[in-house]
Amino acid sequence: MTMAVAEAQKGLIDVRDMGVIFGANDNKVVAVESVSLNVQPGEFVSLIGPSGCGKSTLLSIVAGFVKPTSGEAKLDGKAITKPGSDRGVVFQQYSLFPWLSVRKNVEFGLKMAGVDQGKRNTTARALLDLAGLLSFENHYPDQLSGGMKQRIGIVRALATSPQVLLMDEPFGALDTQTRVVMQEILTNIWQQFKISVLFITHDIEESIFLSDRIYVMTARPGRIKAEIKVPLPRPRRAEMTDTPEFMNLVQELKGLIREESLAAMAPEIKDRGLSGFGMKVGPKGVGEIF
Amino acid sequence: MGSLASAKIVTLPMADKHANPEPTPAVVRTSVMEAPASPAAPEPTSIPTLSLTKVFKNLLAKITRERIITAALACVSLSALFLFWYLGTKYRLEFYIRFKNVPTPYEVFNQLTQVGLSNKYLVNIAISVRRILLGFFIAIAIGVPMGLAIGKYQRVRDLFMPVVEVLRPIPAIAWVPMSIMLWPNNEASIVFITFIGAFFPILLNTIHGVHSLDGVLMRAARCLGASEFRLFLNVILPGSLPHIFTGLAVGMGVAWVSLIAAEMISGQFGVGYFTWEAYSLVDYPAIVLGMITIGFLGLACSGIIRMVGTLLMPWLAFAPGGKR
Repeated sequence: MTMAVAEAQKGLIDVRDMGVIFGANDNKVVAVESVSLNVQPGEFVSLIGPSGCGKSTLLSIVAGFVKPTSGEAKLDGKAITKPGSDRGVVFQQYSLFPWLSVRKNVEFGLKMAGVDQGKRNTTARALLDLAGLLSFENHYPDQLSGGMKQRIGIVRALATSPQVLLMDEPFGALDTQTRVVMQEILTNIWQQFKISVLFITHDIEESIFLSDRIYVMTARPGRIKAEIKVPLPRPRRAEMTDTPEFMNLVQELKGLIREESLAAMAPEIKDRGLSGFGMKVGPKGVGEIF
Repeated sequence: MGSLASAKIVTLPMADKHANPEPTPAVVRTSVMEAPASPAAPEPTSIPTLSLTKVFKNLLAKITRERIITAALACVSLSALFLFWYLGTKYRLEFYIRFKNVPTPYEVFNQLTQVGLSNKYLVNIAISVRRILLGFFIAIAIGVPMGLAIGKYQRVRDLFMPVVEVLRPIPAIAWVPMSIMLWPNNEASIVFITFIGAFFPILLNTIHGVHSLDGVLMRAARCLGASEFRLFLNVILPGSLPHIFTGLAVGMGVAWVSLIAAEMISGQFGVGYFTWEAYSLVDYPAIVLGMITIGFLGLACSGIIRMVGTLLMPWLAFAPGGKR
């Protein structure tokens, strides 16, 4: 970690007192409330929480798609106001342009930056080689599997040499086996590029395996419930998931998330749901009896 | 790094697969797709390649047989139509519809060899084609950019859509008298009517194309540094191209309908005028020749649009639900 900081000085994400409110009056929804977090240069940070906790909203703010109601987000001391190529984004849905070949997709950011064709080509091919997909450079995205598409999505986001990589549940749509391989590939790429990563997920093992640090969010309105350091050594290997350290972290996070998931679901299942299964439901929902 | 390397090895057989122009059966494809994920996947490259070529040979054979059947059925339906015409005129069929004055195929063929290759006939065709092309391309030049802007910006939509909604239900043919009043000469008014016919299908399909574009693609492009202009040129336009081409195909059809009607009503020259003149002169074979000519011209135009579409949008062959 300290080495990475020394080598990559840029890529500091700083979010302060962030609040996001959608709608107005009766339809008002507080999505995120007074969230502060940071990602140090070269650090891999995950944001984990129950669905609907506003973790994707936070990422959208850092990406520049959404403006916060209060607070601010900064990248290397500069306030984030709009999307830009200094922040690479990988989406959960495959976001490759179906009308461009795989190589042209990777070249897209460089083309927008006005880089000439020859240099674009060289960079894109090098990145595709890194992703193990050079032989598919002239294929169209629709010819590829989900895992391949997402690998291309990652190297496309890296093509413009961004300072940070923002990833919104990038492996959420993949099957379990593919996902495990993708996680290893991502750690490899991350270590080569020494880039800061903000990674959104609801998968506990995934967040531990990948991260230096994990923020756990509460149910809506989303706040930071806990900040957990992952002391596992690098490089991470798939076998590490069987170690006691890893298991302990999983248990700790499971406990934290479970409370929040129950709290998030409480309004829906307060009266029916669990009472139908012979469970007692307290005045504040089921969260209370666990 | 190890996982990267293994992924590379496993995916190799797929390269051969996709080098083939024929579509692969979905089942085979997914099983190979999943290969990088399963630990037991790596196997000698030669074995799948061999079996794949066999699969493709079979597929190729199947497709040619499919094509032969398709062609045969096309012949059957076309001959049936021709036979109906031939028998109807030969026996002067009178069964509510009357074949009394309908010319025989032979008479029409004679007409083609005599009149058909005359200057007058060819000039009529050339003039109609010129009108179509003018009206159609003006419709594209206005309809596509306007559709993109309406589709992208709510305010532009609010401004233009009321006018579009009011004018759209008026058929192009109903514009004929107004068009004659509006435009300084006959030629301009006919081109205008052709334009009206093509314009609305192109505009509405372009708008629909922009709306059906996946929002994540636009967000991705903006993250990659695309400016507003670049977004239009490199994302919104290619993204809505499939719908735009649907609009072009429909627009071309409506343009022909409008053109022929306009030529029949107000024209001098043109295939529509040729057909109507033949009716006025009681030259029955020329009527049928005019009709067949219109049919062929329409077929050629939509064929060209489809061809250009396939050339411009090669990725659609692989899209889910593609290759109809």
